[in-house]
This record gives sequence, structure tokens and C-alpha cells, in this order.
Amino acid sequence: MKNLLVIYFLFFSFLSFSQTSDQIIAQLITKINLVKDYSVKASIKADIPMIKILPVNATIYFKQKDKFKVVTKGIAILPKQGFTDVSNFLSKKGSYVCVDGGTKVLNGILTNMITVIPTVENSEIILAKLWIDTKRKLIIKTDLTTRGSGSVTIDYQYAAQVAYGLPDQIIFTVDVKKFKMPKSVSGNVNQSNAKTSQKKTGTITIKLSSYVINKGISDEFFKKKN
Amino acid sequence: MLVRNTYNEFIKIIAKPRSYIGLGVLTALIFVILFAMKADGSSFISFVTSSFEQTLTFNGNILNGNLIAFIILQMLIVHIPLLVALVTGDLISGEAAMGTIRMLATKPISRTNIVLSKFIAGAVYTLILTLWLAFLALVVVKWMFGTGDLIVLNSNGLIILQEQDIMWRYLCSFFVAYLALLTVSSLSICLSAFAENSIGPIVSTMGIIILFTIIGSMDVTVFDSIKKFLFTTHMASWRSFFEDPINLKDIWQSILILILHNILFVVIAVLKFNKKDITS
Amino acid sequence: MDGPIIEVKNLSKKFGTFEAIKDVSFSVNKGDVFGFLGPNGAGKSTTIRCMLSLIAPNSGTIAIFGKNLANHRTQILKNIGCIIEKPDFYRYLSAEKNLEMFARISGRDSSKKEIQEMLEFVGLDGRGKDKVKGFSHGMKQRLGIAQTLLHKPDLIILDEPTTGLDPQGIIEVRNLILRLKTEQQKTVLLSSHQLSEIEIIANRMVIINKGKSMIEGSVDALVNEQDLLLQIDVSDHQNAMKAIELEFPALHVKHLHGAIIEIALEKEMVPKINYFLVNKGFSIHSLEPKRKLEDFFMKIIQE
Repeated sequence: MKNLLVIYFLFFSFLSFSQTSDQIIAQLITKINLVKDYSVKASIKADIPMIKILPVNATIYFKQKDKFKVVTKGIAILPKQGFTDVSNFLSKKGSYVCVDGGTKVLNGILTNMITVIPTVENSEIILAKLWIDTKRKLIIKTDLTTRGSGSVTIDYQYAAQVAYGLPDQIIFTVDVKKFKMPKSVSGNVNQSNAKTSQKKTGTITIKLSSYVINKGISDEFFKKKN
Repeated sequence: MLVRNTYNEFIKIIAKPRSYIGLGVLTALIFVILFAMKADGSSFISFVTSSFEQTLTFNGNILNGNLIAFIILQMLIVHIPLLVALVTGDLISGEAAMGTIRMLATKPISRTNIVLSKFIAGAVYTLILTLWLAFLALVVVKWMFGTGDLIVLNSNGLIILQEQDIMWRYLCSFFVAYLALLTVSSLSICLSAFAENSIGPIVSTMGIIILFTIIGSMDVTVFDSIKKFLFTTHMASWRSFFEDPINLKDIWQSILILILHNILFVVIAVLKFNKKDITS
Repeated sequence: MDGPIIEVKNLSKKFGTFEAIKDVSFSVNKGDVFGFLGPNGAGKSTTIRCMLSLIAPNSGTIAIFGKNLANHRTQILKNIGCIIEKPDFYRYLSAEKNLEMFARISGRDSSKKEIQEMLEFVGLDGRGKDKVKGFSHGMKQRLGIAQTLLHKPDLIILDEPTTGLDPQGIIEVRNLILRLKTEQQKTVLLSSHQLSEIEIIANRMVIINKGKSMIEGSVDALVNEQDLLLQIDVSDHQNAMKAIELEFPALHVKHLHGAIIEIALEKEMVPKINYFLVNKGFSIHSLEPKRKLEDFFMKIIQE
């Protein structure tokens, strides 16, 4: 009897926890959908092997579901995946399953780790691990494995725009194993040694401030070239 | 008398149609590049950033005047030296072919002065060509494509230089580029002192540049010791101004070697021309 | 300046193994029109080029205006005007521009007015702005003379100046040279194949052959040492020859061709022969002295 009660308790705990994963994701999507569009000032600092670039200021524009534009006087480097892909991926209900991964404390915040596995073929994201602050409905960390761009880890920090779930700092850690400089591309006959990157990862830190949220951005704006 | 004869040399260069061929071809080449960039510059940018595009995106005005000016400067390796040699290779041998060297050499002006005035005129022509290149690359191109940060690819990776940090680099690099072209000019004039026709010195100059460039690019141990002394190895040293950090020691070494080559070519030409029997 | 204006001593030059000139010596006095004679390949151009420092001799000395050429080249060349073979100019420049450029480095500034006057002097007025590439050979030769004289040199060296000129051109050049001598007291060294010109213009000459100077001296003295050759177109030339040989046994008579006979004699004998033949009833159709210099020249170079 006692064993039956234990089994019964574990079964319903599991059942209630699985539901919680989907619910958590659903709550997350609801929060994400609060933001129809935004613009934000960004300071982008890239620390990537084989790339030398000073911090760059830019303005980032976003509009649901996946319109994204970066306006900068200079040249800004951003990861190919990770900016809008997570919210876009999560918004497609029914195209993934969620698996509970337990809890973890990250930077003093208790998070639930949920693994999201796409169920559709040809999804660019093969696997997504999310560490979610369930209390505030915020993603603290994401670990994306993509088909064409390798892995990218994203760490989020929040401050002023917690209510909208918009971070004030994002740190991308990208996979740079594949970077290789061919000799002939450089065009400098005086530098004959081809180099390959020694480090396996690089980081891009984006500090975000002065959000302008839900003020309306036309679709035409995203089509126009800078 | 050196000043007077140099003035005469300027008059001759200005009057010769081939002097304008160099400027015309340079202008045409640049506008071909500009047209290509306007039409399909994004393909070129993909070529530059292809190694990174799997993981990263590059946002902003990449295809701007600064990048195109850089592409244009790359032509220094082969194309512009030919345009320089086309005029300067003819300075002594062209007169021998025409017969006017005979008239010139019977004037009360030393053979050394005759040769030096040609070197000076050649240097000024090369300077005009370089300044025209600089004007087209830094002014006209920027007017057409705007300015922005510069993305440079070398074998160490990508460097992105900020707009406000670029102009001084270009000015320095054009100075070194001029020194490189001046070396080509001096070489062709030196070879011209040995010839009695125009084509020989021009073809020989280009042949030497191509040969030395090939030797300089081969990863063969036997050539390692001589590479640093070849002037072609240092013709591309203008690119060093687009590194971060800039290796000043290497740049100064290149400048010194180019200057020494210029002096060597002048000395050889003066010695040869002084001893030459003018029988044409 | 005392002494000769040009003094060449033992001048030699080899090109590889070929000895172009060997021990050539001669001197030119102030005011001379000096003829420099020799067949093709004799070494005339080589000698003149040595004098103008176009070629470095292997041995020998050249002194011009009393100064050694090797040590005073620039100073000497300031006072020399020359044409070597055909004058060459910058074809893409005008006649005026060419003269300006050469004047600029000739050691004496020439104004635009002087250039215009010189163009007029050589018969090229109105053609100053035309590019030289459109000039005929004769026009280039005139321009060459203009270039030679523009900076008012004391010594003029002309290497085959009448080559390629038409008869009128030849006469004009000859007259110009004479004017330079008589009106401007210039010294002229003239190399030419036109023996008649040398005979007419030059007062002194040297004959050079196979790289060696053969004989030097006054034209009159050298030429007049030789007999006059008189060619007579006479009726019944055979009997005329016999009659002359009988009357004047010292004279050598030969038949040239047709009715023309040739007699070598002194100038004073010409009227006597004429009188004798007429008196003997022979008809004289023409009486012509042959150019002696040509004969003298051929004799020298065949020695």
C-alpha cells in the first residue's frame, strides 16, 4: 500500500511537473507577445577569435513575429542565430515538445531548465535548452543548437523592462571552430601563413537601453536599406 | 642646368599621348570597379566575410567608400606599376629610338644631369598618378558610396576599423604606395638606360615585378633569405597601416628598403649612361 | 685665343674588335670652313661624335677652344652648335617648342622673338606652331640649322648637313655656311660626301679613310698641286688626239667616250689647246674642266 502511494505520488508529481513545462512556456509566450514592436539603443562588444573590432553603437528594431533590423553608422557584428529565433520558435505551438530538465540556480536566480525539441522536419533549431525564471516569466539562459550555425549560448540580464521581458544585457557565446583564414584571400603576398583560430568560442555582449516599446513601426521600415 | 632640363622633361611628358593613357586607364579601371560594386558589391562582401557567415551576421554600411578605396589600392600590386612603367620606361630609350638623345647629349649639360632630370620627371609623373588615384579613391568613391567603418581581411583574420580612425591610415598608406610606385619608376628608367627602344624596359620592368612577386609568395625555404630584400615584398607594405596594432618596425624597414632600391637604380642608371657611347 | 680652335691628336676608338678610327689627327683654325672628307665607313662620324663627347675615345686628345674636352666638356659645348647626321626632334612638339627646349639647355637664353627670327632665317616662318611630325626632311634639316645657330655658338659642326636635300636646299645650306664664315666669322667643320661643296666652301680639309687621316691641308694647295683634267667634245676625235700628242708630247691624252677626249694639263694650257685645235680645223663642241677634287680624293683613298 505504501509502495502504491509512493508510485501514485510520483506519477502525479511528474504529471503536474510536465504540465508545468508547457504552462511555463505558454506563460512565457504570453509575456513575449506583450511586445508588438520595440526599438532599443545597443552597445555591441564582440570578442571573437580572428576578428578585431571596437565596441559599436547601434539601434535595434523589432516587430512581431520576426522583423528585425540593425541600424548603425559603423559595422556591427551579431550572431546569426539567437536574437529573435527563440521567441519565433516558441510561438509556433505544436511544432515542438517540452521536456523538464529540473531546476538550477543561475546568478542567484532559481530557474527551471526546459528542453524544447522541434517535432517538424527542417527546423533550423535542432534543440533548445531554456533556463527560465518561472516567478518573473523571464528567460535567463538559452542554449541553442542549430542546423547551419552550430551552437550558441545566450545569457540574459534584466533591469528596467522586466515587465515586458526585455533584457538590458545579452551575452552571446558562439561556436567559432569553423573559422579559418585562407592564404589567398588576404591578397597580401607578404603574409603567407594561413591561420586557424585556436579558441573554440567567441562572445558578443550587447548592452540595451532606452527601449521604445509598442509605438508602432511600419513594415516598410524593415524593407528599406540603411 | 638640372632645373632647366627637368622643366624640359615635364614638357615632354605633358605632350606625350601615352602619359594620358596611364591616367585614362586608371580612371577607367576605377570606374569599372565602382560599377561592379554598385551592381553586385554584396557578393564581394560575402567573399570577404564568408568564413564567418555561418555563425555571424555583419550589419551596417559595409560596402562604403572606405572599403572600395581599399579594394582599389589592391590594384597597386600589378596594374598601376604597368601604367607607371609605360611612361617612365620610355624616358631614356624612347629618346634613343627617336634620335633626340643625340641632340640632348651634345648640349652643355652633364650626362648625370640628363639622367637625374629624367628621374625627377618620372617621380613627379608617378606622384601625379598616385594623387589622381588618391583623389578618385578617397574623394569620388566616398561621394558615390558614402563613408563608414572599414572591414579588412588578412591572414590573421578580420579587422574592422572605425570611420574616424581611417583617413590618417589612408594618407600614410598612399605615401608608402607612392614610394613603391617610385621604385617601379626608377627601375624602368634604369632599364631604359640600357635599351634603345621603349618596349624592352617596359616589358623587363613588368617581368621583374612578376618574377619577384612569385618568388616572394612561394613558401620555399631556399627563397626565405632573399625575400626581405626584394622590393616587391615591400610594395604591399601600405597594407600594414590597416593592421591593429600597426607594426611600425616592419613599415620603417619597408620604407628603408624601397628608398635603398631607388638609390641603387639611380646610381646604376647614372653610371651606365655616363659610360654609354651614343651611336644612334 | 691663339692656336687652333680644334686640335685632335692621335684619336683612336674601337667598338669591340673593330677599329673605327686609329691615330686620327688634324687641327682647325679660327675662321676656317674645314672640310672633313672620307668614304662611307671611313670614321668621320665616329671622329665627330668623339669631338662632341657622344663617344668616349680609347686614346688620344681633343682640345677645343684651347681646352681639353675631357675636363671642360660643359664649358666647350656651350659654344658649339652641331648637326649629327639627320637632326631629330620631338615629333609631338611644335618647331617653336623644340627650339625653346634645346635653347633652354644650350647655355644661352633665347627669347621668343629670337626664335621667331631664327625660324624666318631658315625659311620656316609661319611654321613655328606646326608639330615636327608633319615636317619634310628638308624642313627638319632647316630646323636643325636653326637649332644649331640659336645660341650663337662660335664653332659649328655639321655632319652631312645636305643629305636628302633637294638641289635648292643644297644651295641654300651652302650659301648659309658661306655667310656664317664671311658675315659672322664662325668656324665651321663640315663633313660631307658632296666633294663639289667642299671644293666650293671649304678652305682647309682633311681626308680620312679606313679610320686613318690621310692628308690635311688647304683645299686650294692640295687640289692645285694636281693637274686640271680638261674634257673636250671635238669632231674627228682620233685625229685630234694624234695632233695634240704630236704638238704637245708632254701631255697625256685619252679617249673617254663618243667624241670626248680628256687631257691632264695646267690651267694655263687650256687656251693654247683650244687655239691649236681650232687652228687645225677641228670643231670644238664643248670644253669642260673636270672636278679635280674628286679625282684627287679617289686617288688618295685608293692609296
